[in-house]
Amino acid sequence: MIFAGVDIGSLTAKAVILSESRVIAESILSTGHNSRLASRKALDEALDLAGIREEQIERIVATGYGRLSVDFPAEKVTEITCHAKGVHSLFPDVKTMIDMGGQDSKAIALGDDGRVIDFVMNEKCAAGTGRFLEVMARALEVALTEFGSLSLESKNPARISSVCTVFAESEVVSRIAEGASKVDIAAGIHSAVASRIYAMAMRIPVREPIVMTGGVAFNMGVQRALEERFGTEIIIPEKPQHTGALGAALIAESRAKSA
Amino acid sequence: MGNEISKTREAAANPTEYAREWKKRTGRPVIGYFCSYAPVEMIHAAGALPFRITGGDREIARSGAHLQQYCCSLARTALEGGLSGELDFLDGTIFTHTCDTMQRLSDIWRRELGLPFHADFILPVRFSCELAFKYMLEELKDLRSKLELFLGEVSNENLRGSIEIYNKNRKLLSELYDMRVASPALVSCRDSLMCVYSSMIMDVDENNAFLGKALEDLRSKEGNESCADDYGNVGKIPLFGSGSVMNDWEVLRILEEAGGTIVDDDFCTGRRYFEGCVSPEGEPMLSIVKRIWERDICPCKHRLLDERAKRLVLQMERSRANGVLFFLLKFCDPHFFDFPYVVRALENRGVPSLLLEMEQGSVSIENIRTRIEAFMETMRECH
Repeated sequence: MIFAGVDIGSLTAKAVILSESRVIAESILSTGHNSRLASRKALDEALDLAGIREEQIERIVATGYGRLSVDFPAEKVTEITCHAKGVHSLFPDVKTMIDMGGQDSKAIALGDDGRVIDFVMNEKCAAGTGRFLEVMARALEVALTEFGSLSLESKNPARISSVCTVFAESEVVSRIAEGASKVDIAAGIHSAVASRIYAMAMRIPVREPIVMTGGVAFNMGVQRALEERFGTEIIIPEKPQHTGALGAALIAESRAKSA
Repeated sequence: MGNEISKTREAAANPTEYAREWKKRTGRPVIGYFCSYAPVEMIHAAGALPFRITGGDREIARSGAHLQQYCCSLARTALEGGLSGELDFLDGTIFTHTCDTMQRLSDIWRRELGLPFHADFILPVRFSCELAFKYMLEELKDLRSKLELFLGEVSNENLRGSIEIYNKNRKLLSELYDMRVASPALVSCRDSLMCVYSSMIMDVDENNAFLGKALEDLRSKEGNESCADDYGNVGKIPLFGSGSVMNDWEVLRILEEAGGTIVDDDFCTGRRYFEGCVSPEGEPMLSIVKRIWERDICPCKHRLLDERAKRLVLQMERSRANGVLFFLLKFCDPHFFDFPYVVRALENRGVPSLLLEMEQGSVSIENIRTRIEAFMETMRECH
């Protein structure tokens, strides 16, 4: 039987198709301004890749902030439950996960059986999200893809004290004016993000191993800064942006089986 | 609930409209108050409408010049309402000393709004010694004489009459809550909290009449809950609500859509407002103080170190709730200081809880929806 999970995030929409519990296709594209269209495109693209028709799908679960706007019949499950399910399927021992997406960052505590036992999310603030890093990379005129690795070269990270995206940006401009190197400023920014995430995550019981997901997981600078903060290895899945959609597809499968 | 409840819904959804209309209809004064410790029966006995002021969906424009961003949204948006003219039907305000923000808001309110009547009801911080009790009684006497200067004599006879009417209101609300605990599907939590809120807005006699009819209607539906309310409340997960002011109807709607419902609470716009009656016997002033003294305390006040946690656990278990939802207003220090030990008491009993940091008027609704839904998912263990 075939199942699908579609995760419509603020920046990207993802779809995963499962056949007999095995991933047979995945897609990812920009959400843009229309999350309904993006979810449709993500699903269609994954269907094309898998070479199947929508009618062949037994059940679909939609997740992510755009979950309520999909135009195909789908059950809605929050990204918190879906990420936990997806990550647990990849790393059965995981106890804590940190998801850093475009606008949201969250920390989730998992029980021994992979169930969510507690979670915490950022609120109306972009600090500690992908958007924050985008703004900072732009302020430093560094490509986002190089931003993280650049920070790894620093021996003397600049101090970025503000956790507000707007104020941190002006702080970055001040550091540039003071003559600090891009490398050191980048390291300071990554350290500030890690501090923010750490402070948020400590509101739930944090246990090892810790897995990080979301687009920000591609940023090695954030990974290392978080490892320093938490004092332990941060595991990154091969496809950190897809764990929500994977979890959604797995939930579709388990619900169909228990129905 | 049936049509009887529509008036209470209307008043709860448009409190200022109700007060303005009431004033026009009766020609009598309206006295605003902020806190569930305010002696509403005394305001009523003085011939005025006691009107509970809360924050609301107001963009901060004028109040930002008086209150910093680290003050709670209740104070900031309420002041905005005062400064913008939205509360221009008020003839006066009574401030009850609870937290520092409220105390200072009183000064700003008096100076900036310049209403004909303004009074502070200064409560003691510790509700635990005889001296504090005596002090509270003296404060209440002082408030009475200030009210009398403005509105004329408040006789003991009138006061007793008002006590009786308010006791009736409290009993009706208490019955409604008992009914919900026994049969949560009968009425939505949104409607039941709207009923409590409406009782702080509407003329109490009018409110009693509506509540009485609404309860009759509900009683007739007992045993046939599936058609009892508009929200399809059957099968929802019962939760206990904890916090201060909770009149965000949209958030309650989201909770109900997500499959949860609040069967009991300790909100100061919920059970804490109507809990306990004033004794009709003896000296009325003393009886009013006794009720305030014995009631579930606000976190701004102190009695015993672990009283709030013990009380929450007891109330939660009595209501047969499966978990607790904390709706705490951002920057509300008294509630947040209590929060860690209260949560620990719940954790020790294996009770799941979710903290939602609320802001009057500007809550990030999709974010709240995700949190509530995720919490319901963990409660259902659906995955």
